[in-house]
Parts: sequence; C-alpha cells; structure tokens
Amino acid sequence: MRFLPLIWSGIWRKPGRTILMFLQISVAFALFGVLQGLKTGVEHLVAAARADLLIVHTRANLFSPLPLGLLERIKSVPGVKMVVPVELSGATYQKPDQQLGIVAVSTEGDWLSAFTFTVTPEHAAALRNTRTGALILEATAKKYGWKIGDHIPLMTRTVLLGASAAWEFEVAGTFSDSDIGGGGDKILINFSYYNEARQAGKNTVNHFNVAVTDPKLAVSVADEIDRRFANSSNETKSESLRELAQLELQSIGDLNFLIRAIVGAVLVALLFATSTMMMQSIRERTAELAVLKTLGFTDRAVFLLILAEAVVVCVVAAACGLALALFAFPFAARFISGLSMPLVVVEIGLASALLVALVSAGVPAILAARLRITEALASR
Amino acid sequence: MRLIRQFFALLIMSLAGIPQRLGSVLTIIIGVACAVGVLVSMLSMGAGARQQEQANVRADGVVLTSVGARVFQSSVAREEAAVIREMPGIRRGTDGEPIVTFESYFPMEGRRRVTGKRVFMPLVGISESVLQYRPQMHFTSGRMFQRGLRELIVSNACARQFTGFEIGDRRSLPGGDWTVVGHFDQGVGQPCSVYADVDILMSTFARNSYSTVSVVLRSASDYDAFRKAVQTNPTLHLEARHEREVVEDSFKQLNALFDFVSYFVGTIMAIGATLGAVNSLYSIVDARRRELATLRAIGFGSGAITASILCESALLALPGALLGAGLACALFNGLSVSPFGYSFQLEVTRSLALTGVVWALAMGLFGGLLPALRAARVPVTTALRAT
Repeated sequence: MRFLPLIWSGIWRKPGRTILMFLQISVAFALFGVLQGLKTGVEHLVAAARADLLIVHTRANLFSPLPLGLLERIKSVPGVKMVVPVELSGATYQKPDQQLGIVAVSTEGDWLSAFTFTVTPEHAAALRNTRTGALILEATAKKYGWKIGDHIPLMTRTVLLGASAAWEFEVAGTFSDSDIGGGGDKILINFSYYNEARQAGKNTVNHFNVAVTDPKLAVSVADEIDRRFANSSNETKSESLRELAQLELQSIGDLNFLIRAIVGAVLVALLFATSTMMMQSIRERTAELAVLKTLGFTDRAVFLLILAEAVVVCVVAAACGLALALFAFPFAARFISGLSMPLVVVEIGLASALLVALVSAGVPAILAARLRITEALASR
Repeated sequence: MRLIRQFFALLIMSLAGIPQRLGSVLTIIIGVACAVGVLVSMLSMGAGARQQEQANVRADGVVLTSVGARVFQSSVAREEAAVIREMPGIRRGTDGEPIVTFESYFPMEGRRRVTGKRVFMPLVGISESVLQYRPQMHFTSGRMFQRGLRELIVSNACARQFTGFEIGDRRSLPGGDWTVVGHFDQGVGQPCSVYADVDILMSTFARNSYSTVSVVLRSASDYDAFRKAVQTNPTLHLEARHEREVVEDSFKQLNALFDFVSYFVGTIMAIGATLGAVNSLYSIVDARRRELATLRAIGFGSGAITASILCESALLALPGALLGAGLACALFNGLSVSPFGYSFQLEVTRSLALTGVVWALAMGLFGGLLPALRAARVPVTTALRAT
C-alpha cells in the first residue's frame, strides 16, 4: 500500500505519454467490448431459450401444415403436459410495410404453459371470452396506440370466407414475449375463430407447441412423438425452442470468425504499442531505478513496481473502455432483437487487460529488476 | 529551394535512424497494419455483397411490387398479374409472348456442406420466362424444370455450399418429394438460388398471390411511361421501379449493417492506431531533441523540420497499410460467407486496398501533426544544455 504514491508518480512521469496510452487502451477495449458483447450476447440468447418447450412441425420443414387431428395422439405421449395447436399467418395494418404476425392459438386449459408469453390472468380470460378478441404484444400496442376495447382492421393474406380482405379484431389485452424472436410486431388470436373464418386449409395448423412435465424428458419426448408419426403421411419433427434458436442464429455464425479476427488484431496491435512504450519508459528511467535500488529497494520490489504501473494503467483504461462499450452497445445491437451485453464480457475484458499489462511489462520489468546500480549510474 | 533541400536532408536522416528506433517504428507499422487490415476486410464483405446483388441486374428490367412494400412483403393478385401481361411497352420474347416473370418466395431449409448445420434459405417460385429475363442464365448440367411438375433447379453456388442439391436428389417439401433436375450458372454474380415452377409451388403452399412481377421493357427509356401507366391503372395497386432500385431496397438493411460494422470498427481501430502513432512519434522526437536542436542551431528552418517529421510519419504508415491490405487479401479474398442467409464471396478489390492506404496516410499525417510541431519548437538552448 505504501508504494502507491511511487506507482502513481511513475505513471505520471510523462503525462502526455500516459494519457495517449490510456486513450489507446480505452478505445481498443471499447471495440473489444462491443464485438465480444455481440458474440457472447448471441450465445447467451441461445442458452436462455427454453429447452423444455417443443415445437412439433412436419418433417419437411417448419412451414407446412399438419392436421389438427394429431393433437390427441401427441397428448397421449407420456411426459407431455400440454399441447396447443398454433397457426401462423401475416397481416398488415394500414400500410403494406406495417407488418404484423398473427399467432392463432387454442386458448383452452393451461395453454400459456406451452408458450414463452406472459399474460395477466384477466387478459387471458378476456381473450378466451371474446371470440374476435386479440392480445397485442406490448411494444406493438404502444407503437400503434391501441387500447383495450379498440377495434383494429387488418389486411390479411389468408383467404377468408367473407369477401373482404380486411379483418377486424377487438383488443382484449396485451402480452409480452421472452423468446428470441420476440422482437417483431404480433398479435395473439383464438384459433377456433381463425379456423372458422378461413376459406382453405381448415383444421390444419403450422405446428403444435408442446410443454413437457419435466425438462429433462424433453429430448426423449421429442423422439417419442416423432417415432409415433414415422412412416405416416404426416411425419413430424419435434424440436425445442433452444434448437430452433440455434438454427435461427446460425446465420450470424459466420460473423463469429470475423469478430474473432478483429478482436485478435486489436489485442495484437495493443500489445505491441504497450510493450514498446514500457520499454521506452524503462530505458529513460534507468538512472531513477538505480537510485531506488541504492535506497534499498530489492530487485523483486522494482519488478513488481514496474508491473503494477502497467497493470494500473491497462486495467483502469480497459474499465473506461468497457464502460464506453456498455454505453454504445444498444446502438450496435439494434440489428438483433433482444440482445443485451452480458456482464461476463466485462470480466473477460478486464482479464485480457491484465494479461496485456503483464505480457507487455514483463520483459521491461525483468530488465529493471536485473539492473546493476553501478552500470546504470555510470552510464549517465 | 533551400527549404526543399533541407527537407530531403532531414528526411534521409530520419529514415536512416529507423534501425535505432525499431520498437517505436514497429508500433506504428503494426498498429496501422491492423487497422487497415480490419477496415479492408470488413469493407470487402460489403463490397462482395453489393457486387453479388447488382451483378445480374438488367437496365431495362422493371419490378412491380405492392406500393411501398419490400420484395418479401409484396403481394400481387392473380387478377393484377393478368392485367400486367397485357400492358404496352413490354418486350416480347422469342416465342412472341411478353417477357413477364412472376416470383413468389417460400422458406426452406438447407444443410451446409462444411459444417452440416441447417440454415433457412428462400425457395423461389418463378415463371419459365426467367430464361428470357436472364439470358446469362445457362444450365451446366440437367435441364429446366417442366411446368406443372414438382421439380427444382439450383444454381451451382448452392449445389456447392449445401447438401442435397445433386441432380436426381429428392427434397421433402409439401406435396411430396421435389426432384432436383438442373444446375445452372448465372453469369457474373454467383448467388445461391433455388427455383421451382411458381404456379405449382403456389398451389402446393395454398397461396393465391405472387410476391413480385418482373418485366423487360422494349427499351430502358420507356421506363417513365410504363411507371406512369402502372400508377394510373385503377386495377393495379402496384408500384413499378427499376430492378436496380428494388434490389437495393431489399438489401438496404443488410448493406447498412455492413457499412455500419465496417466504418464503426474501422474508425475505432484507426483512432487507436493514430493514438499509437502519436505516442511513438513523440518518443522518437523526444529521443532526437538534441539532434533537432543542433540542426536548428546550424540553420535548418522549423518549416523543413515539421514537414520532414510529417512525411516520415506518413512514410511509416505506408508499409503498415500495404501489410494490412495484403493480409486482408491473403486471409479473406474469395472467402465465402453467408451471414443472414445470403451467400457471397468477400472481394478485396484494388479500390478497397486504395481506401485502406488513404486511411493509413490520414492516420500517419494526423498522428505526426503534434509531434512535428513539437519538434519544430524545440528550444535550442535548453535542448542543447540538457544531457
């Protein structure tokens, strides 16, 4: 502790140089924070996706219809808690570029247990009791200023029994969604109403959402469901939300390589800059270090002193840079919905800063420790 | 004249001293190399994507979409489609029919050949007239799909990247198995495309509207008249735009992402490298205080000193730039990436490398500015007296 003033004065020996160094490290770690944040953030999103919620769709792909009749057979698989038929379609509100997803679900029983949605009991009851009702994603309701009781006309691509393409829903409440894809505008409606209104494809669904009794059983339940429908005209594929999230974020996967390359380049450049600066600094301070040793500082103390200087500058500068990254992150992350910067990135960043400091100051510190007093003072 | 002679004398002296200051010099070179390398490789991604998007666009091509909608959101009703076929100004193909292609987009899954991972990709339903719309499209093996049959044709780029697209392979899609019957090349751009007959695809997926319609005009100058005709036709709720505009529009977000990433990352790295250069140059100038003061004392002007330091810094940045651009080229040129479901090749072009060099020179000059001014202002007496 009593060496702190000494470290401090060592750091500020050349204020201009230290400030430039500090800025350089901050900038490097701001970039590190944002990029690593994107990478780790995506990984966290995947890990956070629920593994105990299964989506049962056709084996061919995610988007083809399945008959509603499979419901009972899926329900009879041991380990299945809840099965909810889900039909997806799209609509637009007022302008063709104001798109909405329509999620038609059967609102019977504990249907919410098979979704990542959060709905208050009153709103859930309101949807169940209003045939033409709709629950609106909170962000969507805010965007268009929809209030409970409003009637909203939507243009839909689904061919309806009535001649008009406009379809009106009554706002029954709002919901929020914790899933990765929770970003887009969407509304929840009653499947029974949707099924009656459409002209074609009656009694088919996009997929079934299945909640399992025990998350550990998810994989075996998925296999069992697929086994039951194997070799039938409706072969299924059951996947957990986590597997689907992996698939969805796979597309960004290629960028991981680039991110790793950039972060590598940043750290290499930084390492080089800091080590040259430290070397330069030690060379200039030969005489001062010799004086310290004359006063009785051991080799080890001098070694630690030099290391401490580098560590303080690097870690504090990195902390500033990472704070900056935290601030700038939402701006960079706007391309991926629901992404937030995991705090583990800050830890990785500080650890990297420590490493950079130790590696770059290592050689200069050893040189300083090995300094011979007589030679150092004689060279003056 | 004297200034120039002094300048060159100083420059040669500075450059001759490089071996003694290897650490500082290498800091500048490596810092600049990293910044330029990253900038150039990031920009090459955007350039590759743009190049791919626009490669096969034709100048007399017009795409009709719903008013104000992007390609994937657009919908064109069958009645509208019939009206478009009869519109004047559309070029007729070899069969005497107007060249009008209807497109409809469906999602499908592909499996990467290298990683074995699944990704989503678009399956495009398209009219047979696409062969006339894109004359550069030619089959390298197999044949065109037959109207009314469940057949797929894929570009060679796709067949290379994804499994299950060999000729004769059956893909399990709605309505049963779809057979791959042809591989084609598309001229300059090598996008990954999977095509099938639009009408059979729409009936299989129970969809009743096309996504977009593309037509070829009799001449590119007919564009305004055609656009007006579409706009004023009361039965059409569509908008006609140059194919180039529509393509640009649909890739706007992706391009914005690439631009943002390139320049955001590039700028930050450039700032870092510049700071590193400032620091190194300061220490170089500091180490040469006595030398510079001596030069001043024997009559070298401060202007020549400033200019020589600036020039030295720019010259030091140059090898860094070449190293960085070279590394980017060696590591990334021709690398095939497919972020967000679009596949394209990175392309390190000469103009991108040049951009990198310009950035490097800017970093060198900015970095050299303050140290150069300090060098010119070294107080002669104190600097000479100091040990």
